[in-house]
Amino acid sequence: MDAVCPSCGAGLETPLACGACGVLMLPEDPVCPFAIFGLAPGFEVDRGDLKSRLRRFTRLVHPDFFALEGEETLAKAEHNNALLNEAYGVLSDEARRANQLLEGLGGPSEKDLGSMPQAFLMEVMEWNEVLEDAAPGSPELLELERELTEQRDRLAAEVGAALTPLPQPGGESLAGIRQSLNARRYVDRALGRISAGSAPS
Amino acid sequence: MGYIELEVLEDQPKRVVIGIDLGTTNSLPAIWKDGRPEVLEVEGEPALIPSVVHVSGEGTAVVGRAARARSMDDPAHTIHSIKRFMGRSLDELDEAVLGRLPYQVSQTERGLVQVEVAGKRFTPQEISALILREVAAQASVAMGGAEVLSAVITVPAYFDDAQRQATRDAARLAGLEVLRIVNEPTAASLAYGLDQKEEGTVAVYDLGGGTFDVSILSIEDGVFQVLSTNGDTSLGGDDLDAALVDLLRGELEGTVDGSVFEEPAFRQAARLAAEKAKIALSRDPAADLAISLPELGVNVRRTVTREEFDGLAAPLIERSLRCCERALKDAELEPGDVDEVVLVGGSTRVPRVRAEVERFFGRAPHTELDPDQVVALGAAAQAEVLMGSSRDILLMDVTPLSLGLETMGGAAEKLIQRNSRIPCSVKEGFTTYADNQSAIDFHVLQGERELAADCRSLGRFKLTGIPPMPAGLPRVGVKFHLDADGILTVSAKEESTGASASIEVKPSHGLTEDEVSAMLEASLENAQKDFEERRRVDLIAEIGIMLRHATANLAVAEERLDRESMEDLREAIASAKEAQSSNELDLVQTARDTLDRATMPLATVLMDSVVKEAVSGKKLGDV
Repeated sequence: MDAVCPSCGAGLETPLACGACGVLMLPEDPVCPFAIFGLAPGFEVDRGDLKSRLRRFTRLVHPDFFALEGEETLAKAEHNNALLNEAYGVLSDEARRANQLLEGLGGPSEKDLGSMPQAFLMEVMEWNEVLEDAAPGSPELLELERELTEQRDRLAAEVGAALTPLPQPGGESLAGIRQSLNARRYVDRALGRISAGSAPS
Repeated sequence: MGYIELEVLEDQPKRVVIGIDLGTTNSLPAIWKDGRPEVLEVEGEPALIPSVVHVSGEGTAVVGRAARARSMDDPAHTIHSIKRFMGRSLDELDEAVLGRLPYQVSQTERGLVQVEVAGKRFTPQEISALILREVAAQASVAMGGAEVLSAVITVPAYFDDAQRQATRDAARLAGLEVLRIVNEPTAASLAYGLDQKEEGTVAVYDLGGGTFDVSILSIEDGVFQVLSTNGDTSLGGDDLDAALVDLLRGELEGTVDGSVFEEPAFRQAARLAAEKAKIALSRDPAADLAISLPELGVNVRRTVTREEFDGLAAPLIERSLRCCERALKDAELEPGDVDEVVLVGGSTRVPRVRAEVERFFGRAPHTELDPDQVVALGAAAQAEVLMGSSRDILLMDVTPLSLGLETMGGAAEKLIQRNSRIPCSVKEGFTTYADNQSAIDFHVLQGERELAADCRSLGRFKLTGIPPMPAGLPRVGVKFHLDADGILTVSAKEESTGASASIEVKPSHGLTEDEVSAMLEASLENAQKDFEERRRVDLIAEIGIMLRHATANLAVAEERLDRESMEDLREAIASAKEAQSSNELDLVQTARDTLDRATMPLATVLMDSVVKEAVSGKKLGDV
């Protein structure tokens, strides 16, 4: 990043705080999650690197380290740490990360695209029937889970490939990526229902 | 100028921040000293303060050991386990729990639990504040008189917003600044991690007096990162006692009148007998469960074997292990992925609990640190972090429950998922449904259920001050922020005009700001009254000692004192005797001071004779 700390002039790794002098910044809203983590936007993210950045940056902004510095500074730490945690949530989740990239490229939002193709919706209705009727742990449910997991991985691979390298802003491929992402939401929701049904209660 | 200021700053004594484990059964302060956390000690013993409050008929409160000592002879005025009622409403509580209480509870106008004792009403926050005051006072004694103003206080990880808020309010009422509310299992992991420099995945199993928590953490490079947490805020050692009490009641069924079970004396005696048997059963293969209350016609003795007790404990342990399963699932781990298991809380002394935890995780749990002290030690370590000495240690905690809003249809829409890292914020947009609508109501929930009615209500918020506009045009941005204490704050802004809308909060199970302020004022008055009362009692005790001494030496006085001094002494003795039964602090103080002065000549005479006696018969060099 090219930005420098207004307080000490050191280069900034994150817009949340200065790693050199420790001063907290007040980043303008909204900030891109990639920028918060000092990363260039891109679909591939190294999870280990992300985690180590999370730890490093949390050491800069966590309210524990500003407990005695007055309300205003403490509020800033609370705010910046919340931004950091939110950005981590986006970047560590493949689907949310893809969504973020798509929005950054000016692609259609979830609601812009309208409804899904008829054939896909029929498929969703079939899943729902199994979800309603099959008992937890039954062969039908296990089969559906296997099928859905496969489909999720396929959709993820499609989205990943379409976003690597990043397509042109406003490009034609964006609508297709949106459709895959929307389909994935249906798949994830169905998988969520299976796992909730088998959850210990 | 600057030079002088700097000097003044350097002369300031270091601010003392203590860690407090505010427990269901006991509370304990600890501090950071010489590079490690240390439990505070009074007279060579850990300053473990029973979380018990006794309120006398005159309304004087005593806390701790002295209060616990009254629990048998005055059960209806002795409050224990108040933590179970923090941030709760009466209608949420289990009938069976209420049916075993020796003291009276009722509800406030808004349905919050309150304790009724000696004709007075106390909220759980006020009772907890009395306990915290005593903890701070004991800590101060342990530190040679240093005033305690700030603290880190621990709460069960599974405490919701209302329970955390209630804890914070209790501290405010006790005159303590809370620098951080830290989760008990997280604190425990900190205490262990510091000692052993562990790296890896740790499960903390914390079964206390009234609450159960499990947290899964990863520890790496000084970062204590909570991956998930689960628990049950009404599951603990008290429930083991309750199972034994039920056994006793079953034994008595048919032999005594049913009304006996309603008697505070019976409830208290049964509870204490059960607790005693439970503790013995952690050591011995069998224990006696016995109470004798001749005035109620109760006399029962029964042997409970460990096997039988294990059977009673089994369903409770099972409940705790279900929580462990859920926590592991949320952390996307299997029991075998856990490198270390740490046991916390007095109830983990029960052998069956240890065995089941070991079986579940497939490894022997750590018990090196005293399970009653480890949370306080961790709180002290956290206090040190907050003091800003270093950033080597970092706690990254999560919120135990999802936060949501009630939708038009009565469903719960999740805004923040459980096990999200805190602090965290979410912004939600609101608009109006009618032209010129100036206010919007919304209902904030906490919990995992799909229907709003099945989640726990945190509070109803009213957004006001929206500028008059056609329906749907205003854009009010509401920010929900869970802070590092896991407590929610809500702020709002009308975005099209930039006007900041104001928000009124009606907490569903907590005190409003006004209520806390009113209590704070009342507690300051009470503190003065309590202080005066204690002073009066101390002075009367002192007068007693002085009188005993003076009357014992009255013969000597008659013989050796001049007439005037002797008259003074007689007068002083007479008024001191009168003052012994006085309720007026000033009168007692004057009588004590007069007596003190009037006995001076006598003391001099006595001292003289003692010295003469000592010197006579000894060589000069020995003196």
